[in-house]
Amino acid sequence: MFRNQYDSDVTVWSPQGRLHQVEYAMEAVKLGAATVGVKNKQYAVLVALKRASSELSAHQKKIIPLDNHIGMSISGLTADARILSRQMRSECLSYSYSYGTEIPIIRLMNKISNMMQSSTQRYDRRPYGVGLLVAGFDADGPHIFQICPSANLYECRSMAIGARSQSARTYLEKHLADIGNSGTLTDLLKHALRALRDSSPNDTELSSKNVAIAVVGKDTPLKELSEADTQTYLDMILSEERRSGDTAGGSDDAPPPPPPSDPPAQDPTPVVAMETQ
Amino acid sequence: MSSIGTGYDLSASQFSPDGRVFQVEYAQKAIENSGTVIGLRGKDGVVLAVEKLVTSKLYEPGANKRLFTIDKHIGMAVAGLISDARAVAEVARTEAANYRSQYKSSIPLKYLNERVSMYMHAYTLYSAVRPFGCSVILSTYTEEDGPEMYMIDPSGVSYGYFGCAVGKAKQAAKTEIEKLKLKDMSCQELVKEAARIIYLVHDELKDKQFELEMSWIGSQTSGVNQQVPANVHAEAEKDAKAAMEEDSDSETEDI
Amino acid sequence: MHYNSVIEEKLAVSTSIIACVFDGGVALGADSRTSSGVFITNRVADKLTKITDNIYCCRSGSAADTQAISDIVSYHLAFQKAETGEEPSVATAAAVFQELCYNHREQLTAGIIVAGYDKVKGGQVYNIPLGGMCVEKKCAMGGAGSTYVYGYMDSNFKENMTEQEVKKFILHLLALAMSRDGSSGGVVNICIIDGQGPPRKEFYIGDQIPKYGI
Repeated sequence: MFRNQYDSDVTVWSPQGRLHQVEYAMEAVKLGAATVGVKNKQYAVLVALKRASSELSAHQKKIIPLDNHIGMSISGLTADARILSRQMRSECLSYSYSYGTEIPIIRLMNKISNMMQSSTQRYDRRPYGVGLLVAGFDADGPHIFQICPSANLYECRSMAIGARSQSARTYLEKHLADIGNSGTLTDLLKHALRALRDSSPNDTELSSKNVAIAVVGKDTPLKELSEADTQTYLDMILSEERRSGDTAGGSDDAPPPPPPSDPPAQDPTPVVAMETQ
Repeated sequence: MSSIGTGYDLSASQFSPDGRVFQVEYAQKAIENSGTVIGLRGKDGVVLAVEKLVTSKLYEPGANKRLFTIDKHIGMAVAGLISDARAVAEVARTEAANYRSQYKSSIPLKYLNERVSMYMHAYTLYSAVRPFGCSVILSTYTEEDGPEMYMIDPSGVSYGYFGCAVGKAKQAAKTEIEKLKLKDMSCQELVKEAARIIYLVHDELKDKQFELEMSWIGSQTSGVNQQVPANVHAEAEKDAKAAMEEDSDSETEDI
Repeated sequence: MHYNSVIEEKLAVSTSIIACVFDGGVALGADSRTSSGVFITNRVADKLTKITDNIYCCRSGSAADTQAISDIVSYHLAFQKAETGEEPSVATAAAVFQELCYNHREQLTAGIIVAGYDKVKGGQVYNIPLGGMCVEKKCAMGGAGSTYVYGYMDSNFKENMTEQEVKKFILHLLALAMSRDGSSGGVVNICIIDGQGPPRKEFYIGDQIPKYGI
């Protein structure tokens, strides 16, 4: 039933000092479709791969606007993300109401990360099963933040999360300087889409239907691009040859290794009885 | 730990037959996987230094800090689960702010330490919660009482220190710290030692990338907690790297 | 609201109080009359109330209100001292007084002057009048009687007076206030706090109080 006796509750430390429930929640992020966040000196950009549950259904939303200057994309349990986004929006509003200015991104991140932390420490809660990439622009310039179910918070130069996202991260690491110094929004978006394409499943081509793009930056309030605009940017990279070799997904997509003292694993795949994005 | 797996180690609210609370001990294990953190208390201030392990090139350099300012006169360094530590920092900040608004004066570190210790200890008493997976070091400097430093464990136990170390290489760091004449040293000297120790205990093979973070508080900062200024930081880091070179040179000579 | 009899009227310390800093610390002074309407309930009241070892306050307004507030503040500061192991500062005492006076300003009739000595800032005086404002002063007065002697205070108060000078200043000021104000009178209480040993309280009676006017 259980992989070991220390993984059933979030309130139980394993003898190695690990929290298995939190680690499993981290797995939920990898079940969602990939999403990429990048920034240069003026803009922060989010791109995401959208899934449709059937031929007849629409593609699910991956990018959630939070305020004029902040947006986020998600990977993992959509329902959990909705709770978080509601909290974040209300945090943004109450800040502008109190102080008359837009909330600095780091403040919002700290608030939400602390909120997520509390549900990793209580018997009656479970960690949020969703990873967030937050893009925002404030007095310090553009920002990309990553928040994990463990409530870990990282400010990033660029980042990708979700299924097969290791390929995207490989691309981002390789072009780190280029991306940061890219002169135009078009260049930045092209990098983001190339990274996303590296993470898309082999049988899926990027299209204006399954790709979402959001941009925020200097004098540019957060905006999700229309299908037509998305297509324009997609056309720029789809003509290029798809990079081969490391399209097989990332090494980190495997579940975490079981602790050494464990009996042999019986059910290695995490079972999540919820729909993920 | 022969009692592992006997069922007495699954809850913070349960003793094992030999009188131990294993859940607290396991939480302490979580800290041993984290980067080394040291605190040095000299004659005119306290220096905190952190070996922040960087697991991805994609993270913003200089961000995601493990050093916090709790109030203008109190610094904090954390080891262990960073998300737990941030929650503790938030509690400490609230405590310090409440004290200031109620009493119109700065919270004494002795008192803050007591409050935060009590808070962390409360999480070792009940089965409905788990102990914090972090240790925190608190520092301050005041005209009246001079430099002070405390370290709090996940168990909620805390002591005042002249020098302390926690994290991966705490043993090696402690050995180095014990060689110092802390009581006679100024912050300027402590910064150099702190940088040197962090570089010395860093394990190049296991953890490739790391960032050195340092903060200080003392008479030279007028009792205000701040990051060690960029030029002092760079100087100390340069010396630390040079000391490492020398060290490895002499080692090869021995062989 | 109207009062039918003297008995129903609220006991009020309608008063003359003063506190000021001098060379070595602070000095507090007060008259000793407590009245209920035209009836003097107590002619030898002590309006200089101990809060901690080195912090006192002068009370004016409702006797019941100010006694209750003083008790609560004493408790808070004693508790704080027990928790932190440090002697509470005068600023802290004033902050706690203000918190209570401001939060309950609709229900309270309390004008309080907090004065004392601490290691950090030496002698300090904080005035907390009716609405719950708190302001640090070198010299502060309160109570109905004080309105008659502002001119005297302004022309005679000097910083860095000696203990003898400050006692004389307060004694004469209160004598003037008590002679003009119907609700002030009795004896003069003076308390000196300088951090050198416990506060010294003195009182002046009968002939010891200067006579002014015709």
